[in-house]
Amino acid sequence: MLTSSKEIDLRYPGLPGLLLIALLAGLGLSCSEPPQQQHKTQFMALGTLVTVSLWGVDDDDAAEAVMAVEDELNRVQKTWHAWQPGTLTEINAALAAGETIDADPATLALLDKARDLAHRSGQLFDPAIGKLIALWGFQSDDRPDAPPPAKADIERLLANLPDMNDLVITGQTLSSTNRDLQLDLGGFAKGFAVDQAIERLRDLDIDNAIVNAGGDLRAIGAHGGRPWRIGIRDPQSSGVIATVDTKGDESVFTSGNYERFFTWDGVRYHHIIDPRTGYPATGTVSATVIHRDASTADAAATALLIAGKDKWRRVARKMGVKQVMLIDSDMHVYMTPEMEKRVYFRTGTPPRVTVSEL
Amino acid sequence: MKPGTDRSVITIETTRQDHRIAWLTALAITIHIAESVLPSPLPGVKPGLANVVTIAVLMLYGWRTAMWVSLLRVLVGSILIGTFLTPTFTLSLAGAVSSLLVLGLGGLLPGRGLGPVGYSLLAALAHMAGQFMVAYWLFIPHQGLFGLLPVLMSMAALFGLVSGLIVMAMVAKLKERTS
Amino acid sequence: MTRADLVVIGFTLALLPFLYGTFWNRQGPADAALIIDESGREFSIPLDTDQQLHIDGPRGVSILEVRDGQIRFLDSPCRGKQCIHAGWLKESGEFAACLPNRVSIAVNGSEPLYDSINF
Repeated sequence: MLTSSKEIDLRYPGLPGLLLIALLAGLGLSCSEPPQQQHKTQFMALGTLVTVSLWGVDDDDAAEAVMAVEDELNRVQKTWHAWQPGTLTEINAALAAGETIDADPATLALLDKARDLAHRSGQLFDPAIGKLIALWGFQSDDRPDAPPPAKADIERLLANLPDMNDLVITGQTLSSTNRDLQLDLGGFAKGFAVDQAIERLRDLDIDNAIVNAGGDLRAIGAHGGRPWRIGIRDPQSSGVIATVDTKGDESVFTSGNYERFFTWDGVRYHHIIDPRTGYPATGTVSATVIHRDASTADAAATALLIAGKDKWRRVARKMGVKQVMLIDSDMHVYMTPEMEKRVYFRTGTPPRVTVSEL
Repeated sequence: MKPGTDRSVITIETTRQDHRIAWLTALAITIHIAESVLPSPLPGVKPGLANVVTIAVLMLYGWRTAMWVSLLRVLVGSILIGTFLTPTFTLSLAGAVSSLLVLGLGGLLPGRGLGPVGYSLLAALAHMAGQFMVAYWLFIPHQGLFGLLPVLMSMAALFGLVSGLIVMAMVAKLKERTS
Repeated sequence: MTRADLVVIGFTLALLPFLYGTFWNRQGPADAALIIDESGREFSIPLDTDQQLHIDGPRGVSILEVRDGQIRFLDSPCRGKQCIHAGWLKESGEFAACLPNRVSIAVNGSEPLYDSINF
């Protein structure tokens, strides 16, 4: 311990003065350092507009990263598109013919995850209803101008509607106990693709980024000294109804009845089909989920939109998502307390809000 | 304690050292109060000018005395200003405790250890860092707060350096007087 | 000046540029302010519309005023009123806070109100 017996060295009185100057010079130099860069690039992929935001990456690395993301998204699209030739179409063809088909481990893992999510959603999110989706014309990006399917056709499918539990995975082989089973990963594929893209970015040592595919995104890291800020769009207009600051690694996914739809005879039919009725889900305008991985967030948002204001809490609980926001047809907002803490509503008058635990 | 002839009175003998320490504590408190009127980018966060006294006491009378002087300064100062138990008080305390900790550790260095400039600089940086951390964790858990950190730490570094020079002069003068 | 002193000084000279590089926001004209309340909730307020905001805190209600692209604490239930004395904030990076009521304002520069939109 220091006592007064230690000599105080006063031999170099001028030195502190010099160091003071050095300190100030150092300050001056560091102030003029150029700030970290943000890169924001857009391109078409997954049938929609994709935006990749990067922070703290130099120009060359950013270009390389965006290309990697684009390649990855295209790869996923090619593999999992239910319409264009690829792995999924092969599987569907085999299953429709009542045959078995071998699949690689990655595919099996994906389908297994989809099956698990479907089960936990009470089969509200269910990729096995591809045939029903196709009946509505939503399996492809371009639905031809046509009326909604006939009630009889829907009911016929509904009578024997397959679900993911009918998909059998034995070792490396896929088979189905229901000939009507057709896989459509629409409510899940975007999330999966975004997850893959983020992994590619991480492989390139990029830890601060947002991959936004047609409005659904996953954000990792932050925007330098402040968090990434996500705007949540108003279902009724093009304005932003609320903002959320992300923390660490989070996905923000919204399923809405305004995303893909067609109108016939003045009635709007949207693309999220309720497996229980065979018709587009009613009562809810949008469901927003914040969760770490995008595939879960995607599936949950789909399931919760279908679940509606009566069942959403139960489904959210079973799917393990805690930050949920539902907007029903009366523009009444339902949220979990965890979600309420994070969302700031920018509209002047706050909308009607009900906050409830799961 | 010398037992007095009158049993109802207890006499405490004070030494010249006690007088000096009391005087230094009073000085520290005065500086603390004066510092409270300084504007700051973050309310309540101060550069810690009163640390000058803390360091001087540290070098002349040791860490324990410096600790008492420092804590007394924060306590009495805040009572006098009227900020006792307010966020400002918590911040002052955090700053004082952080600098004392660092100073204590600094004293454990081998060899010649630190001189007044080293102590001052370390104490100032620790003081500011301590205040900032408490401000962040207890009061404003705000990412944006970190935007102030470079400026606050620069202020601290500057004051630390300047205090170090002042301490050097002070201690030389005080040493003259004691010997 | 001992060797340890020089180490401390060297450390400081290295520390400061690092802090600036990591945390320093660019200066610039302000178009939004970030408010934080006691629950840690953060929200962005555009400075283009004149308005008053009431923020609840443990001591009561802090009133913030936005006018002519600037923002300030108009009133706050604290004793020192230091937050009010901070006056108008208009430049990016400017900051004011009412610690007793746990309300803080940070002015953003040409930072957008959001980086990405979810829909």
